[in-house]
Formats: sequence, C-alpha cells, structure tokens
Amino acid sequence: MAEPPKLRVLMVSDFFFPNFGGVENHIYYLSQCLLKLGHKVVVMTHAYGNRSGVRYMTGGLKVYYVPWRPFVMQTTFPTVYGTLPIVRTILRREKITVVHGHQAFSTLCHEALMHARTMGYKVVFTDHSLYGFADVGSIHMNKVLQFSLADIDQAICVSHTSKENTVLRSGLSPAKVFMIPNAVDTAMFKPASVRPSTDIITIVVISRLVYRKGADLLVEVIPEVCRLYPNVRFVVGGDGPKHVRLEEMREKHSLQDRVEMLGAVPHSRVRSVLVTGHIFLNSSLTEAFCIAILEAASCGLLTVSTRVGGVPEVLPDDMVVLAEPDPDDMVRAIEKAISILPTINPEEMHNRMKKLYSWQDVAKRTEIVYDRALKCSNRSLLERLMRFLSCGAWAGKLFCMVMILDYLLWRLLQLLQPDEDIEEAPDICLCHHRGVEVSEGLRKKIK
Amino acid sequence: MESNLAGDSIPGPKWRKVAYGGMQIGYDDNYTDESFLEEMVMNANVVRRDLLKVMKDSVSISQYLCIVALVVLVWVHTLESSLDENSLLLLDLSLLASGFLILLLTEEKMLSLSLLLRYLVNISFFTTGLYILAPIYQTLTRSISSDSIWAVTVSLLLLHLFLHDYSGSTIRAPGALKTPNLTSCISVNASIVASVFVASRLPSRLHVFAVMLFSLQVFLFAPLVTYCIKKFNFGLHLLFSFALMGLTLYSIYALHRLFFLVFLSLVLLVNVVCPYWLIRMQEYKFEINGPWDEAKLCFDITD
Repeated sequence: MAEPPKLRVLMVSDFFFPNFGGVENHIYYLSQCLLKLGHKVVVMTHAYGNRSGVRYMTGGLKVYYVPWRPFVMQTTFPTVYGTLPIVRTILRREKITVVHGHQAFSTLCHEALMHARTMGYKVVFTDHSLYGFADVGSIHMNKVLQFSLADIDQAICVSHTSKENTVLRSGLSPAKVFMIPNAVDTAMFKPASVRPSTDIITIVVISRLVYRKGADLLVEVIPEVCRLYPNVRFVVGGDGPKHVRLEEMREKHSLQDRVEMLGAVPHSRVRSVLVTGHIFLNSSLTEAFCIAILEAASCGLLTVSTRVGGVPEVLPDDMVVLAEPDPDDMVRAIEKAISILPTINPEEMHNRMKKLYSWQDVAKRTEIVYDRALKCSNRSLLERLMRFLSCGAWAGKLFCMVMILDYLLWRLLQLLQPDEDIEEAPDICLCHHRGVEVSEGLRKKIK
Repeated sequence: MESNLAGDSIPGPKWRKVAYGGMQIGYDDNYTDESFLEEMVMNANVVRRDLLKVMKDSVSISQYLCIVALVVLVWVHTLESSLDENSLLLLDLSLLASGFLILLLTEEKMLSLSLLLRYLVNISFFTTGLYILAPIYQTLTRSISSDSIWAVTVSLLLLHLFLHDYSGSTIRAPGALKTPNLTSCISVNASIVASVFVASRLPSRLHVFAVMLFSLQVFLFAPLVTYCIKKFNFGLHLLFSFALMGLTLYSIYALHRLFFLVFLSLVLLVNVVCPYWLIRMQEYKFEINGPWDEAKLCFDITD
C-alpha cells in the first residue's frame, strides 16, 4: 500500500485509569486518537487494587496492569532492573516499534525507557510537570531525568515554558523537544443550553485544595470580592488539606450563603458544576499547562488565572484575564472579568475552543514525533555509554555502570529465553475492520 | 481561525509563544526561537561578599569559642583544686555585677526600679534553688565512671557550639518579639547538662553550687551581654572580642602548650581561613530562576 506502515506504540506510566488526573487523561485520549489513525497502541501501568493483568478499554485499547504495587502517590518502588523481564516480554509479544513514556515522576516510565533503549527500541518521553532547581527533591529528580533522557530519541512538553524547564533540567538539545499541548474533549464540555442569568454572577473554582493550587490565595481573594460585589457568589469544588481554611474563611466573614463548598467533584460531574458559573477562577502557583482552564473555556466560562508557568500560553488574550499571584491583583482581575462579562458568548467561545484544541490534532503531531524518532539512527552500546559519561564527573560513571549491567542482564534473559520463544499476541480485529479482512481473505483464495 | 488569517500575510507569520491553535504555520513543533530561555534569570539572589566584612562577622564565632574555652578552663582549675570555692564565689559575684553594669550601660531605655527589683528577686530565687539542689548534683553521677563523664561532657559542648545561635541571643530581654528556635534551645540545654556533669565530680556542695552558678551565668547570659555590646557599638564589640581572645590564649598557654597551639589554629581557622574559603567557593554558586518556578505568596499564611 501507499500508506506508511502503521506504528505500534507502548505507552508507559504509573498514572492511568482507574486513577484520574491530567496525565491519565492525556494518555487515554492520545491513545484513542492514535487507534483511530490506524496505529496499534498498548498501555503499560502498575496494578490498581484488584485490577491486575490485561484489560481492554474502548476502541480495543489494550492495557497491561503489571502486578507491581504502588508504594507512594501511585508511583511504583524503583527497582531499576526489576521491570526488565516483563518489559521485554510485552515489547516482544506486542511487536512494539515505539515506546512512549509519560511523566517525570513515574518510576515505571523511567525504567521502561531505560530497558527499551537497551533493547534497541525507539523511545519518546512526555513531560507533564514543572519543577524548580532549588529544593532537594528537585535536584535529585533532575539528575534522574538527566540519566533517563540522556539516551532519548525525542521528547514532548505540553507548553513552551515546560520545554524550557525540561531542557534546563535534563540537558537535552532543544531541537529534540517538541511542544505539543494537552487538549480537551469539547464534546464532553459544552455550555449550558440556557445560560444562567447574570443578575447573580457565579465564580467557579475546581481544584485540589492544596498549597500548590493556591488555596491560600482563595482565602484572601474570596472575602474581598464578596465585599466589593454583593451580587457575586462562589462555587468551590475540590477537597484537600486546605479545606478547613476555606471553611474558616466562610465562618469568619459570614459567607455561608454566598460561598458553596462542594467537596470532591468526580470528573463526570465537573461539566455540570462548570455550567452553573460565569467565571472560572484558577489560583495555581505553578502549572505546566492547566487543563482545567480548557475545560472551563469549552463550557463557555471566562477564565481568571494566575500568571504562572505555562498558563499565559494556554488561551488567547480575550478568553482569559491573567493576574500576578497576589490577592490585590487577583481581585482587580476578577473586577475586569466581571466588567467584560456581558460581551462573552458561551456558544461562540465553545466553537472557538473546538478549533483551538483537539485530541486529533495532538495525535497527528505526536505521530510526527514518532516518525522523527524512527528516523533516528540506531546507536551501539559504546555510543550510548559516551552519552551517559557526559552527564557528570561522578554521575556519568555511575550511569555507565547501571547501563552496562542492564545490557548484561538483557543478554542473560536472551540466553535463558530467546526472543523466538516468546509467543506473539494476536491482534484483535474490530467490527469495522471485518469487511477488509474478508476481502483480503477472498483475495488470497483467488491467488 | 487566527492562524489562517495570519497565514495570509507575507512572508509568513511570526512565531508566537502560545500553545493554542495547533501547529504554527511554517514552524515545526520542535522549533526553538531566539527568545528561548530569555526569561531565565541566573544568580538573582546571590550577594557579593567582601572579605573584610565576612571576617568581621566571624569575630562573633571566635568570641563565643573563647567564652566556652574560658568556662572549660575554670572547670579544669576547679577540678584540679587550684581554684577554691571562695574564689569561685567571688568570680560569680564579679561576673554578675559586671554583666548587669554592661546591660545598664548598653540598654537604650532606662531600667526602672521595679524592673531592677524584679531582676533581683528572680536571681535570689534562682540562686536559692540552685543551692538547695547542689547536694543532688554532687551525687548525681557517683556510680558512673569518669571516662564516660568526660566523653559526654565534651560531646555536649561540641553540640552546644554547633547549634549555638551566633547572630543573636537565645535568652531574650523581656518583651522581645521573636521566640528562640529549636536548635538554639537544644544548644543551651546541652551546655547546662554538660555543666551538671562536671559539677557532679566536685568534692563539696559549695564547690558544686559555685561551679553551677558560674556555668549558668556564662551559658545563659553571656550571649545576651555580648549581643547588647555588639548592638551598642561594633568597635567596642571588636575590642572586647580581641581582649577576650588575648585572655583566653594567655590562660591556655599557662596551662598547656599543645592546647594553646590547637586553640590558636582554631581561632585563625574561624576568623581567616573560613571567610576566605567562603568567598572562594562563592564563584561556584549557580542559581536558576524563571517562569517555571512555583510562585511565592507575598503574604503570611496563618493556619
């Protein structure tokens, strides 16, 4: 056929359904769109409770829930070599051509990328978060990232600020790093058929109530806005350690009737909460991208957000009001948002969001990254060791030893169980492919 | 739509640092603009230091080293019985009087008579309690060998020196706003426990009382006195420090030659070598800030 050969992609991360978050969402939607483009996609993650083994999701998405237990924040224990046998088996069974790891804090992702590179596969990495350079955790995490990405083929970041951050942390060449944003399922986030009246202006906040999401900013901003605008009320969705502080704020300023606390909001109910409001407020102190803003804009809400990380890149200037992470500036931004609220048309905003972001577009751009990765030349073990050696005076030698041992273990596995002995998994043919299969069968009979 | 409109212009749209709207026309996703990393700031918080100023600041550390060394000297002389309890009590009284005098001279506001009386009453209670407890201290470690006592005492003194608050004073004047932090409290407690261990090796209760009083006076109130002097006049602070160094070095020289050399090396290390070393190391300082950093809130979070 004239078509290019279809890719066979393995997505690896500690974060996947039934857990929920931005990374999980990204992997799922990207996989679905790649499947629609005709590629084969397999996901590898650790076991979630009783969910262990192989599962099939919508569209024939195959998921390996490896029997590995999470030990802290859904991340598996770093064993360095413990995942080599099962990674090798999955790569062989599924005839994988590209391995795509997600999230810098995923132990399974880094280990799988390391083993895949040892076995000669092409690897791509997507970074979903921003990290600093000053605290002890970030310093060590950046060193691990430098090791993991020293031998990478291509990398993806979700914003330009995130690309700058990842290039600095890992030492990657900027030409290797692609900027492909997250997207939003606009079919799932539609404006309300009847827009709520603007006699009472409702400001919606949906985020985890933790320090990094700026819950303390909310405690300062909400009373001030309620004082200035008697017709404003707030809806706060989300749970977390700072929940008590917001409750105290309500009690202190007697705002029980104007500030509604919903607690944890399941993702299936996020849309119904968003459409009750006119303005979406995001007070994060750090964001690589911020999908919540996309979801709100898709529902027709005007956004007020802190100007941090990649947030200024996410929406056009007329769809978002940016403020410094300072209570006074946040209040001014909300005032500005309230003043331009009459000019906002939710349906029009929703239609613009359809054009600005779509997972199909993300999948096409990711496909380009995969093609670039496949065009990269294969590197021998010595060339790869040279790359690791340049990571640092002491770290480089340590990294080399780790990789040499990984190579030897792989050779040992090949000796114990040759590649030919691993059974290849048959591909599932879906209903809409059956006609093609029948035609091909007939063609073969004729020959 | 904006991309399409921009695409009509010639020679092509300028690259924008935005994530929306799909791939930008004429640019790949891995395109790296000239503005890449232009918002990065390096070494924004680095303070260029002057060698002389750092050496002056390190005098506080040497000063306190000398104070602790003098205390140890008094302990040694008392244990060797070359300093009797009457001389110790006289030393206690003179230290108390001179400390009070210095506080009076360096205090901005005048001490009222009622406050002075309150001080005297507190000191009387404190001294009486110490006198009553002296027999307990004397027999506290009778069943423990002397080697263990000396080892623990030295360790506690080292802990005291490492955790000491050299920039201020753990004991605050009445009405001070800030409370001492945890390491500072641990430091003071370590020194007091070391004093108790040393006192438990003395022959008579009056000896124990005198040594305990001396140690508590020095460890509790010497930082306050030196802090007041430094706040009053920095030149006087330097003069006092160098006089203290001279007195300490002379006393150690009279006791033991080798200890004199060790202590002299230590003082030179603290005052000359470490400041120079700090300034030399500062060129390796490398600090990166940028829009990816977590924003810092400009108000205090009161939980």
